[in-house]
Amino acid sequence: MNIVFLILSYVTIIYMLISSLSYVVLFLLAFRKVHRESELDRRELTEDIAGSERTYPVSILVPAYNEEVGVVSTVRSLLALEYPEKEIIVIDDGSKDQTSARMIEEFQMTEIPFAVRAYLETAEVKAIYQSAIFPYIRLIKKANGGKADALNAGINLSSYPYFCAIDGDSILENDALLKTMRPIIESDGQIIVTGGSVRIANGSTISRSKVEAIDLPRHPVVLMQIIEYFRAFLIGRLALSRMNILLIVSGAFGVFHKERVIRAGGYNKKTVGEDMELVVRLHRLLKEEKSKQRIEYVPDPVCWTEAPESLEVLRSQRIRWQRGLFETLWTHKKMMLNPSYGSVGLVSMPYFLFVELLGAIFEFCGYFLIFGGFFFSLIDPKIAGILFLVTIFYGSLISALAVLLEELTLHKYPKVSHLIRLYGWALTEAFWYRPLMVIWRIQGIFAAFRKKQHWGDMKRKGIST
Amino acid sequence: MTLSFFLLLTASLFLLQIVLLCYLVIRKKRRQRYEEEVESQYNHLVEPFSSYMMEPSDVRFFYAIRSIKHQEVVLERLLNGYVAFTKEAHSSPLVKQLSERFLTEPYRQRLNRRNWAKRINTLHYIEDFHMVSLSPVLLEQLAISNKLDAETRQLIRTLASLDETKVLTELSRFSNAPLRLYADVFSRLKKETAVKEIQSALESTDLSLKHAALIFVGQSGSLAFLPAVEKELAVPHAETRIQALKAIFRLEYMSDPDLLAPFFKSEIWAERMFAARIAGILQLSRYKETLGILLGDSVWWVRYSAAEAFTHFSDGDLLLAHLAENHPDRYGRDMAAQWQIYQPGGARQ
Repeated sequence: MNIVFLILSYVTIIYMLISSLSYVVLFLLAFRKVHRESELDRRELTEDIAGSERTYPVSILVPAYNEEVGVVSTVRSLLALEYPEKEIIVIDDGSKDQTSARMIEEFQMTEIPFAVRAYLETAEVKAIYQSAIFPYIRLIKKANGGKADALNAGINLSSYPYFCAIDGDSILENDALLKTMRPIIESDGQIIVTGGSVRIANGSTISRSKVEAIDLPRHPVVLMQIIEYFRAFLIGRLALSRMNILLIVSGAFGVFHKERVIRAGGYNKKTVGEDMELVVRLHRLLKEEKSKQRIEYVPDPVCWTEAPESLEVLRSQRIRWQRGLFETLWTHKKMMLNPSYGSVGLVSMPYFLFVELLGAIFEFCGYFLIFGGFFFSLIDPKIAGILFLVTIFYGSLISALAVLLEELTLHKYPKVSHLIRLYGWALTEAFWYRPLMVIWRIQGIFAAFRKKQHWGDMKRKGIST
Repeated sequence: MTLSFFLLLTASLFLLQIVLLCYLVIRKKRRQRYEEEVESQYNHLVEPFSSYMMEPSDVRFFYAIRSIKHQEVVLERLLNGYVAFTKEAHSSPLVKQLSERFLTEPYRQRLNRRNWAKRINTLHYIEDFHMVSLSPVLLEQLAISNKLDAETRQLIRTLASLDETKVLTELSRFSNAPLRLYADVFSRLKKETAVKEIQSALESTDLSLKHAALIFVGQSGSLAFLPAVEKELAVPHAETRIQALKAIFRLEYMSDPDLLAPFFKSEIWAERMFAARIAGILQLSRYKETLGILLGDSVWWVRYSAAEAFTHFSDGDLLLAHLAENHPDRYGRDMAAQWQIYQPGGARQ
């Protein structure tokens, strides 16, 4: 039996070292680009395209389910967006609360007849409303069908060639859409999807739907999520985007070429990871068509979102994410290690399988063996010690590196104390936060087999006053 | 690999991070101090600067700017603020004069620096401040550039803003040049120069150049080019015809509405769509019946544009109400019903 544990220990150590190395490689790839652009005067970059003639009009889709707390401030923040031509479509996916009523009351909406194109099949659309004050704000009231279904309904109603999908509780920075559309405009349409950074708003002051002061939350669970976001967005997505193998554009903030998405069949209603699944499917189609079009991540434009403070909600979110990842990789298993899909099949898919999905299982083994080694002589304590150090390296030092990368490049958090607090908390990750994540991520893999669909239960406080 | 090896590895990486953290803390503090200094010097100069811009005989600003430590960056911010606020860089000789006097040399040096972001920022500022004196340096850089990357594109835009027509010749070296870049060049050239260049672009055999010129004509609303645009409606190349229709739609005028007739029956849906849009925006009553037919088109966008076109006619409400009841096509009836009360379009800033 001991030999089994010993082999398992070596496998886990090797796995963690290779995974850490892959993070370091991604870090180096990301660093060059972010560092190069860190001193850019970004106002100058968007100044030129801010003129209405140089941009493509964009439909902003806001799928909402039980979002009565946040939906109005989200739409207000969208009204303040600097963008020459836009329409805002809120899709109430059969909410049980007052989501539609709040919208109708706040924006003086009236029901209109609408000849919707049925590009994508959706659950029944019950009514379409238009605002009397801002005619470009529309509301779709439909039967519950899930987030993917809601987004598909929004695509059907939208009139513009690009759509931006954002979550019902998110606040976009004023120039976020301009910055996200810029690569699309500059590339003459060669870039078909762009994703922006998502940041956690808890702790910051958001007044009248505008971020006025950036600060850190007190709650350690939220602080750890901020660090996680750095790790995911700054290290992972940026480097993968540089290689044109980015598989995730956050559902909270992404811009898509509508026709491409329609041709790909829209959002997949059968998965909870509809955002990732769509991007993987688009990659698949691009490769199959031998197209040179690209999917890009833009680190600067920021979307602020409310992170869960309660462990229960966080758990449900992570289970959903992991399940979405599993379902996407399973749906597109044909691409895995398949040279016909180029680096997406050979690098990105295996990376997501071994590092992002199965990582939880290896980490679980690691924690189990450390505990067993130190307290029950399951393995040689020296091996357990090595595992312990590797776990710290993998769990804490890489996250601390992400914090340093953020400061080195974007430095969005203004105070020195912010940097020190974030770094300090990052070092604690391997000891309490990561084990929790590991358990929930494993539960997420099991949940994928149960196939129960839901929107996720986020208890909102609202992020804007 | 032993425990001590891993201990050493983790400890050294941790120490390395601590060193990096210390560096970042020091850098952050320095930056904050620097920003405070610049801010204070900026605030100190706002009044003499505003006074000078309104009354150039008030030369207090020159003494003040010479006395500060962060001359370059403060002046840059003042000029940037002024240009953004007044939106008249091209017509402000004072901006040009100040920038050329104090920033030409620093900018010349910055353009040769290794820092990519600073070079890009400098190109933008040269454009904003209209610093013609740097034109030869920029042209030299463009001549040696072999790749149409972000920097070269901005170099081209900046040179165009300085009314340098050689950029169009240089641009033709790049086969992958996007149409928008050509349109950007046209929009930045001085009006008289742009007219000449567009005229020759419309006569050119280079399709990218021609399409860019058509886009620009539509965007700028230059009716002087209407005859040349209308001529393009008869060419065999479909994309050129579509660009010409688009330009006419934006110009909201055409000399001979009969030219539109063949497009209502075109096999290309984009041509049918633009024909419907033009018939609406120009209120061409003779095409009302044709628009009614297009309301039952197989393509959603054509139906949408045909219905929208009716809203431009004085009796459009009545026609839409009639069509919503009596159009033979179900989709046509739905579309007409929608446009009876639907308010189209998005937020335009």
